[in-house]
Amino acid sequence: MNENKLDSTTGTTGSLKGGIPPSINDAQSGFVPMEGDASFSNLLSKLLRKPLSIFHELETKEALWKIPVTFILISVVSLTVFGLVVGTFSWGDQIWAAPLKIVSGLMFSALICLPSLYIFTCIGGLEARFSTVVGMLCSIVALSGLLLVGFAPVVWLFSVSSTSAVFIGFMLLALWMICVGFGFTLVFRAGKAMGMTNTGHLLVWCLIFLLVTVQMTTTLRPIVGESDALFNFEEKKFFLQYWSEELQQATD
Amino acid sequence: MALIALGCGAYGFTVGLRNGWEMGAYVAVKLPLIIFITLIVNGLLNGLLGLVLGSGIGFRKSVQFLLTGFAIMAVILGALSPISFFATLNMPSSGDGSGRFAWHGGSLLMHTCLIAFAGITAHARLLHYVREFADSSRAGTHAFFAWLAGNLFVGAQVSWNLRPFFVSPGLKVEFLRDDPFNGNFYEAVIVALKNVSQI
Repeated sequence: MNENKLDSTTGTTGSLKGGIPPSINDAQSGFVPMEGDASFSNLLSKLLRKPLSIFHELETKEALWKIPVTFILISVVSLTVFGLVVGTFSWGDQIWAAPLKIVSGLMFSALICLPSLYIFTCIGGLEARFSTVVGMLCSIVALSGLLLVGFAPVVWLFSVSSTSAVFIGFMLLALWMICVGFGFTLVFRAGKAMGMTNTGHLLVWCLIFLLVTVQMTTTLRPIVGESDALFNFEEKKFFLQYWSEELQQATD
Repeated sequence: MALIALGCGAYGFTVGLRNGWEMGAYVAVKLPLIIFITLIVNGLLNGLLGLVLGSGIGFRKSVQFLLTGFAIMAVILGALSPISFFATLNMPSSGDGSGRFAWHGGSLLMHTCLIAFAGITAHARLLHYVREFADSSRAGTHAFFAWLAGNLFVGAQVSWNLRPFFVSPGLKVEFLRDDPFNGNFYEAVIVALKNVSQI
């Protein structure tokens, strides 16, 4: 199946089975066989340095569930660390509630967006396995989580200095958008390397995923700042309404 | 690191000197500290951004590049410090006369221009090195500007935490304010903008 994937614009095969040398375009894009095994440290290094080689591995090797599982592990650890730093803004219950909400919220968002990602990539012309699409989604969350850990010292500096929960909230939203933007860029590159002909559908999915994760911050509120209740599921709000109300309160 | 400590320390001394020898010594310590703390806070992020943006520049190299950039800036500032020293000697001390606010503003403007000049010159040179070293010139440029944005964002906050540097007229000379972690730079900017809009 994969050998037949012909990139209409370049005339080169988009995906290769093991044993066939990669084409020049594949080598340039980084969609080449992964060096080393699927160990935790190697995957971590490849995710940062040569991420497309991971997708090549997923697409050409059999039963590689180890890669998505490792990505989930990286995501959980990274988001827990980041959540702990976010929790230091309020301390108290938030020191454990913030990491729990961030990890569970993001994992749930990813889970409910998985079917649409598979369908949208198929409509976009990607003939990838379901496990590869799972790997794509896990790579978005893992890469975003790693970058959020990179931002953790910055968040800590502002959490000890700031008095405004709204400022921290908006800063965290901005940081999330930057980090998830890197994840989206990665799946676009992977999609193109694997023969995706129409990226418009993937763009729509990215917007949906972003919308879901931002709404999750409102559903699981408060993640930043103190509150009598750890959750507020009774009062239903759209995130734009919630954040505009918070901003209004802060500026009054 | 020694160059940064020496160059920025010498220049920092001339910045604080207008408020006496004690403040000169404080700023001589605090100016290099801003750079070191910013690099520590952003170290992990800069390394990750360098890799993710495809420049091939990892953690160790990103720190080396940024230290080189700041060292160039420190050398420029160190070279400018005799001029800054001479200018400070020709200014009335911060507590003197009715024109003290005007002199304070003039001093602030002069140092801001000199530090900006040194920073821009050093970073222009650093950009050239990063582009040459990176896997591709484009990736190098992206990594450089990502580092620059992160360092500016954090550096502004670190300098806010380590204030005072220029000591506004009427305020006392001290190493750190009584409440260095109360509020942040961007909140202060928002409050200032709000106050301006109400005029």
